[in-house]
Amino acid sequence: MTSFRLTVEKAVKTYGGVTALADGNLDVQAGTVTALLGANGSGKSTLSKILTGVVSPNSGSITLNGAPMRFASPQAARQAGISAVYQELSLIPDLTVAENIWLAHEPLKNGFVSRTLMRQRTQSLLDLFAGLYNRHLTPDALITDLTPDERQLVEILKALSFDPRLIILDEATASLDGQQVNRLFELVTQWKANGMAIVMVSHRMEEIFRIADKASVLRNGRTVGERVIAETSERELVELMIEGAGALHRERAPLVDPANPVRLEVRGLKTSVLHGVDLTVRDGELLGLGGLQGQGQSDLLMALFGAIRSTGQMIVSGEARHFRHPRQAMAADVALVPGDRGSEGLLLIRSIFENLILPSWGSYGTPIRVARAREKGAVIAEELKMVMSSLDAPVNSLSGGNAQKVVIGKWLLRAPKLLLLNDPTKGIDVGAKAEFYSLLRQLRDRGTAILFYSSDDDELLGLCNRVLVMHDGRVSTELFGDRLTHEQLVSASMGTPS
Amino acid sequence: MTTISAPKTRSPIGRTFSRNPFLLSLILLIIMIVINRALQDNMLEIGPLNGTLRTMMPAIFLAIGQTFVVIAGGVDLSVGSILSMTNAILAVMITQEATADQALVAILVALAAGLGAGALNGFGVTVLRLQPIVTTYATSFIFAGIALRILPEPGGRLPRDLTSFYRNPLQLSESFAIPLSLILITLLVIFWLVLSRTRFKQFLFATGGNADAAYTTGVRVSRVKFTTYLLSALFATLGALALTLGTGTGNPRAGELMTLPSVVAVVLGGTRLAGGQGNIIGSIIGVLILGLIGNIISFGDLDSWVRPLVDALIIIAALAIPGVIGLVRRLNQ
Amino acid sequence: MTALTNKDSRSTLKRIQSRLPPPLVALILAVLLFLIGGLLAPGFANVNQAVNIVRLAAFLGIIAAGQTLVIISGGEGIDLSVGALVTLGAILTYRITDGDEALILPALGVILLVGLLIGLLNGIGVALLRMPPLVITLGMAGVVTGLIYFVTRGQLIGDTPPAMGTLLSSALIGPIPGVVILWLLLGAGMWLLLERTQYGKQLFAVGINRTAARLSGVRVNLVVMLTYGLSGMLAAFGGFVLLGFTQTVFLNLGQPFLFPSIAAVVVGGTVLAGGKGSYWGTIAGALVLQVINSLLLALRVEEAFQLIILGVILLVLLTMYGRQRSVRQ
Repeated sequence: MTSFRLTVEKAVKTYGGVTALADGNLDVQAGTVTALLGANGSGKSTLSKILTGVVSPNSGSITLNGAPMRFASPQAARQAGISAVYQELSLIPDLTVAENIWLAHEPLKNGFVSRTLMRQRTQSLLDLFAGLYNRHLTPDALITDLTPDERQLVEILKALSFDPRLIILDEATASLDGQQVNRLFELVTQWKANGMAIVMVSHRMEEIFRIADKASVLRNGRTVGERVIAETSERELVELMIEGAGALHRERAPLVDPANPVRLEVRGLKTSVLHGVDLTVRDGELLGLGGLQGQGQSDLLMALFGAIRSTGQMIVSGEARHFRHPRQAMAADVALVPGDRGSEGLLLIRSIFENLILPSWGSYGTPIRVARAREKGAVIAEELKMVMSSLDAPVNSLSGGNAQKVVIGKWLLRAPKLLLLNDPTKGIDVGAKAEFYSLLRQLRDRGTAILFYSSDDDELLGLCNRVLVMHDGRVSTELFGDRLTHEQLVSASMGTPS
Repeated sequence: MTTISAPKTRSPIGRTFSRNPFLLSLILLIIMIVINRALQDNMLEIGPLNGTLRTMMPAIFLAIGQTFVVIAGGVDLSVGSILSMTNAILAVMITQEATADQALVAILVALAAGLGAGALNGFGVTVLRLQPIVTTYATSFIFAGIALRILPEPGGRLPRDLTSFYRNPLQLSESFAIPLSLILITLLVIFWLVLSRTRFKQFLFATGGNADAAYTTGVRVSRVKFTTYLLSALFATLGALALTLGTGTGNPRAGELMTLPSVVAVVLGGTRLAGGQGNIIGSIIGVLILGLIGNIISFGDLDSWVRPLVDALIIIAALAIPGVIGLVRRLNQ
Repeated sequence: MTALTNKDSRSTLKRIQSRLPPPLVALILAVLLFLIGGLLAPGFANVNQAVNIVRLAAFLGIIAAGQTLVIISGGEGIDLSVGALVTLGAILTYRITDGDEALILPALGVILLVGLLIGLLNGIGVALLRMPPLVITLGMAGVVTGLIYFVTRGQLIGDTPPAMGTLLSSALIGPIPGVVILWLLLGAGMWLLLERTQYGKQLFAVGINRTAARLSGVRVNLVVMLTYGLSGMLAAFGGFVLLGFTQTVFLNLGQPFLFPSIAAVVVGGTVLAGGKGSYWGTIAGALVLQVINSLLLALRVEEAFQLIILGVILLVLLTMYGRQRSVRQ
């Protein structure tokens, strides 16, 4: 195997006046796992997309094995042996697994695409994850029929099918469960031994320390340092990522006062994914939802908000209710912060102001008293410390953390009594997270009942009075007090009773 | 092993239909043939069959070209005008005294003009990045104008040998003849089946299914889209050839009312208008359905002022069937 | 820095474009074309001609009002039944009033209701049956046309009340015809509807992101159905207004307005993908199209060249601000 070394120096990329990357540097070698770290909006994605030829930099140099390179297109980068697993999935929903994996490099026989070869090669790739996916995942399955974690696996296999010399894993573990992640890391170790170079973009510190050899840290579009993992600490990396540390401050929250009124009571809630969920949330309680991804947490929150069909009993504020549309849930002072900001929470090309007021236009009369609505919007933006040029700026000009503040702000304007949160800190930088945690504590102390799903165990442990662990569409375990520990949380997530 | 949230389960029948949307249109076609046969006894005899299919050929070509564009996520509202333009070229250049060479030259000129038109559409959509619907709407004026410039009034007469070869069934033996259109349709189906085994087909569906994802995977999305507009124009020109041979004359407004029905035929054939799904066999079936609806109405004992309404109601009902099935399924969940 | 110099060297045209809102660009363009017309065809740029152009543009503009709403509603929203509904509106008014001025208002009531109902059927097809708007509205156009044939049997009986011509088409205040005043009122009404009502705000939200809109409490299906209903109603109203100008009806009266109604919306800067746009833009777009039309007529350009020039101008306008984002960044 020839040695492989790719360096990027002083890469710059601007989008219509906004600088996404001011000084990006990266040094990647064969047989090494390089972690690319940085808060949201720090330029990680831009830098990794420059490597794959999807983004063309305004200036800067790329050197491959000592020779200067310029990737004009994804194909050019791929020919140089670079392939990537993207964060935003790059699969075509109506094509099969095999067709997706082999897209643009289909095995040919006499000039025609050979379906037999394609199927065989797909199967052997799938075998890498044997036993870790459902039986319906076959080479001929359509992507639209797969679950998110299976799509993620296909995405990884697709990158692998190009037989790359450098593979970029951009948040590739986001939708995978623990065992799938373990298997992926075993494979990464093998690839490394075979002389492949690996770049890993991840928000999960724990994974970086498990698998990476070195870390390159970006802050505000500039590479601010490179560290060998064996010689650094989590604290040092976090400090590099943000100016002035201050991540999650752990505080064991006491159990909620049982005298507080019950805000929500659910008995036997069922959907196509949920098989009967029971739970109770009181005012002033921050109830956590945990478990592996895709165990029905999202469905539960959506069903409670009336966004998907469900059966079962639901008592909100002492009244039996059955919401058929989010509108009815909103009328009962329920709010939902959905899991995917871009596709479920925001109107990207409209202004911050319009996004904030969207659920509340009805309360400003006809014709709408815009001045009054603006005042309210300005107050909430101030309260949440949104960093923005003006209320009229489009939401897509904001960073991830600030955009999430808009999603939360639009509900705070309605002063909800029950707040449903679907993994609200996913893809948000450390600083914004810390602000968000103190906001949650404030709301709880003011008596808001909060049901909080998070894929980050540390958040559940640090913020919640009580955590319900979900498994296969049911609440499998309830953890509180002394039993609310990381070990208990993990073992309950895996479905092992303890 | 951890069980992950339940996958979408589909019955085998539902699966077959969702993967081959044109099966639904095939059923519709059979129903139409049965009704038509009941109203017109000799429908399947060689003479009438030859005539029916021949009149549908131009629409079939247009719908096939349209299908490529639609699968890739676009739409071509200029196919009718391209047909008018190339029809005018053919009618003007192939005079009654034309030799075979002259006819060939005329066809080549028509093809060049058609491909030029397609290239303009492709340029607008891929290089200028304009929305397909308005781009091809704008260019349709240009092509319609050129058609009128070449042939201001309907006219021209093709050599008799040429038209009668195309118009009459192909006599394979003394007792057996087959409509030439049927052979053409078979060739088109084979063309599609062969194309289905090429990379281009994969690129086509990937582009329509998710252009961003296709691009990052290395599909040259712009090139694929450009090619679909070329193909659409090419088939529109072939449609013009079929029309010119069938009618033996030219009409600068021949295609004016053919564009939107080509879109309807494509949708009737199960191709998704949003792109990423479909095939040309369905579109051929779509044209046949539309044609047979017309046939049935003209053979049914209907007042001529009622026919357009009945025609439109049947078409809208056929278009709505998948939607109604979907609605019922959602309500049952 | 290279990045910065790159920015500054962007063409002036581009920078002007990004500063000026598209409706204003279209309006300036309409005026420029009018003045250029004066140079090309002596006697073109006079007050009478201007009034005439605005009057003709008003008919297109009113017909395109509903189209604006439908295109803003997104989801590949488009209404191809507009042409047939214009014809239906005019024929119904012609028939119901039969020249009787007392029946104008009842006729107006009937056509608005009929337009609304047919539009709602489109909306049901789009929202509940999830049919592509292009397909269902095209099918509906066929049904409406069929209905017209069926009901009239080709016999267009009736008459236009003289008052309609006086009020709408002739000069009403000074040289300004009534239809222009009506158009301005409609413009104000459309602005109120889009910018100052809950419906308008929710319409933009639906146009951009239906999931986000629904999760913010918007009844998406209701908004969509209402939008197609309004479009049908406004198209039928367009037919009513048009009758005041033509004074007579024919089976193909509205069809020529169909595609120009879409072109006017797009030229005015409303994004075909939905969620962004205004009726002021459509007004400006209708003016641009009408100036071009009148100019080509005044220059006595033969039909073939009229079509070619119209196509080229549309392409140029689209290139100026109808561009989509690139796949490669």
